[in-house]
Amino acid sequence: MAEHPELLPYGIIREDLFRPLSRAGSKWWFTVVACFLLVVAGLAAWGVQLRDGLGVTGLNRPVFWGLYIVDFVFWIGISHAGTLISAILRLTDAAWRKPVTRAAEAITLFALMIGGLFPIIHLGRAWFFYWLIPYPNARLMWPNFRSPLVWDLTAIVTYVTGSAIYLYLPLIPDMAQLGAHNKPWRRKLYKALSLGWTGSDREWHALEMAMKLNAVIILAVAISVHTVVAWDFSMSIAPTWHSTIFGPYFVVGAIFSGIGALIIVMATLRRTLHLENYLIKRHFDNMSKLLLTMSLLWFYFTMSEHITIWYGNEPKEMGVFGQRTRGDYAFWFWLMVFVNFVVPVTLLGIKKLRSVKTAVIASFGVLIGMWLERYLIVIPTLVTPRLASATSVYTPSWVELMITVATFAAMIMLYLLFARLFPIIAVWEYKPHSPEEED
Amino acid sequence: MFLISEFRSKDALVEAILALKKAGLTENDLAIFSEEPIEFRKGILDRPSNMSKAAVAGAAVMGTAATSFVYYAQNDYKLVTGGMPIFSFWATGIITYEMTMLGAIFATFFWFLWESGLIRKRDPEAPVPMIGPASMSLRVRCEISRADNFVEILRGSGCIKTERVK
Amino acid sequence: MVIDLDRCTGCEACVVACHSENNIGMSTPEEAARGRVNHWIRIDRYYEGQFPDIKVKYRPVLCQHCDEAPCEPVCPVNATYHNPEGLNVQVYNRCVGTFYCANNCPYTVRSFNWFDPKWPEPMQLQHNPDVSIRPGGVMEKCTFCIQRIKRVEDQADAAGRPVADGEVQPACVQSCPAEAMIFGDLNDPDSKVSRLAGDGRATKLMEELGTKPKVVYLEKAR
Repeated sequence: MAEHPELLPYGIIREDLFRPLSRAGSKWWFTVVACFLLVVAGLAAWGVQLRDGLGVTGLNRPVFWGLYIVDFVFWIGISHAGTLISAILRLTDAAWRKPVTRAAEAITLFALMIGGLFPIIHLGRAWFFYWLIPYPNARLMWPNFRSPLVWDLTAIVTYVTGSAIYLYLPLIPDMAQLGAHNKPWRRKLYKALSLGWTGSDREWHALEMAMKLNAVIILAVAISVHTVVAWDFSMSIAPTWHSTIFGPYFVVGAIFSGIGALIIVMATLRRTLHLENYLIKRHFDNMSKLLLTMSLLWFYFTMSEHITIWYGNEPKEMGVFGQRTRGDYAFWFWLMVFVNFVVPVTLLGIKKLRSVKTAVIASFGVLIGMWLERYLIVIPTLVTPRLASATSVYTPSWVELMITVATFAAMIMLYLLFARLFPIIAVWEYKPHSPEEED
Repeated sequence: MFLISEFRSKDALVEAILALKKAGLTENDLAIFSEEPIEFRKGILDRPSNMSKAAVAGAAVMGTAATSFVYYAQNDYKLVTGGMPIFSFWATGIITYEMTMLGAIFATFFWFLWESGLIRKRDPEAPVPMIGPASMSLRVRCEISRADNFVEILRGSGCIKTERVK
Repeated sequence: MVIDLDRCTGCEACVVACHSENNIGMSTPEEAARGRVNHWIRIDRYYEGQFPDIKVKYRPVLCQHCDEAPCEPVCPVNATYHNPEGLNVQVYNRCVGTFYCANNCPYTVRSFNWFDPKWPEPMQLQHNPDVSIRPGGVMEKCTFCIQRIKRVEDQADAAGRPVADGEVQPACVQSCPAEAMIFGDLNDPDSKVSRLAGDGRATKLMEELGTKPKVVYLEKAR
């Protein structure tokens, strides 16, 4: 029965997938409240930073970018789980994608919301962040469009808008079905979100067309977004940042960590919402293969990045290289190589070892590894500036750590709330007459 | 005058649509309601779409507008840059690209709302049938005088039941 | 500006003068230990030879006022830009603190106000009224004492004469006991700095990056 979930009777599918919306267990409440408290603590830490100034962080001269930028790149990377993967699967019409896409798209939206906050958190005067937006103002001037940070802004705004629409479109028919929910406030919410969907063939046609187009567009946007994030670094002339490979390197890393996040989310959903019939072994098997591919690609890029630095032997770049491979950051560097390459390749490359459990273990490793990768890109370069006299060290402060932890809590909280408010698998896509059946 | 008839099989539905079209109804008179999308061969019930054209148009408009705006803004407040260009297509390329995509996204979304009829009521009077899982309802708009004729056709092609709605 | 490294004794008088001229906030020892010193000019020390036979060389490093400054294009709010006279200036009021300029500065001469600036009593009484006090959260850096340049220009304008060579003296130049620093107009081929910049000893710091710095170091080739 579990082998082909799309052949389950429609009534059961609907029942199974709508059930989580009505019942919230004590564990759910506990986790949400705990995460909420952590988020509040993070906001309080930010409040301290806003009151006292950025001096409460561990930043110094010349380490002007720290944990916030690491987190920013990390979360934007996680956001590539969703939209990108779901768009590729949608376009290639992979039938197994159906229970995966919405879970993935939701990750994208929330990760982007969180990641998008970091550039603001790390501003010296965060309350003036809107000065980057072009609007007629009393300063009588426009933002500087030559700055990669303004490119970033346009890229992230586009991506958030696109992802939100991309998540919303396939949600509309489900909202119409949920319009008959028994709780009045939910009924109102679902009805409003369904936009008066009636299920006419014109609506279906338009929806499918819009989803197809959006998948193509979002694919192009997702790749560009992480490229632009990478270009924040490569447009500068700091040693090892000024690298042509950074665009694709970051995109690969982003998809890599995104898939890791998606596997963890899928396993959690399967366990807590009892979706064993929907998120089957095959999904994890396919996702594991994707993760394995990305792990190899990541290794290839890391290799090309470092071998060219090493062989080029340019003193400033070698300084950073030395910091990473045998200096203060050597432990973290080799840990990163271990969890990003050795672990996934062993656990997922050997068929006997590949299972849901090992996929989750490898995914956790990848998340840690990818976070470390961003840390190792940002910090070693900054602590070894071109003039040796300015060399410094960087230790994150409690404020930065608290805010980092809070964002993970925020992600979990938002996701849990989402899973209770909306069906995490697109119900209508589980049409009883699936392509396999028609053939 | 509307006829609403319920089908359980897609073949019957196709047959009904073809027969109704033969009897002189156009595709605009017909609408199918279902809980999941139903796909037909081309030529049965086509819903031509301009969405991709709209997306391209939206992309072109927004991309051009954004680029021109950047050009204007950079030259409006002319900074001394000490030898570096104040405006270059290299640096503006990314903004052009992102805004082009944003234009396409917006155009697609609004065109979807328009074409699907969600923000414009094509037939505010028309009744909307209740639909359940696996059922397909065909709504036919016709003149009262010819209703009997169409009901016959619908019954002949295998519908479960047909209702007449004013 | 020309700095004669063969004359520099590393006394740091320029650093002190810069601090009091430009109302730069004082760091505490604890903060300084964390790398939070705020100097617009610093003296880099380079050691040559083995202990005890060591030779120390000093190099005052301040904003190089690059013609093609890497810090300028990356600022999203145009807070750092070229003024029409060719100085690389920082507009504190526009700065939102993205740090990008500081990261992209190969000389690491930009300083950030990690907190609102503080001075131990009674040093706040000696603030220079010509220089604004920067709030916490903004980037700042050497301005070549733009307030002094402006004052001299205004005086010259009022008297209806051109600014004489050597009339403008930034605080560091004025305070240098070894007269290692000379300030003037590089656009004027007859000025002292122009002549010194053509000297055989003239080098520029990290010129190979294409930043076209406007500070010239004089250094005996060895």
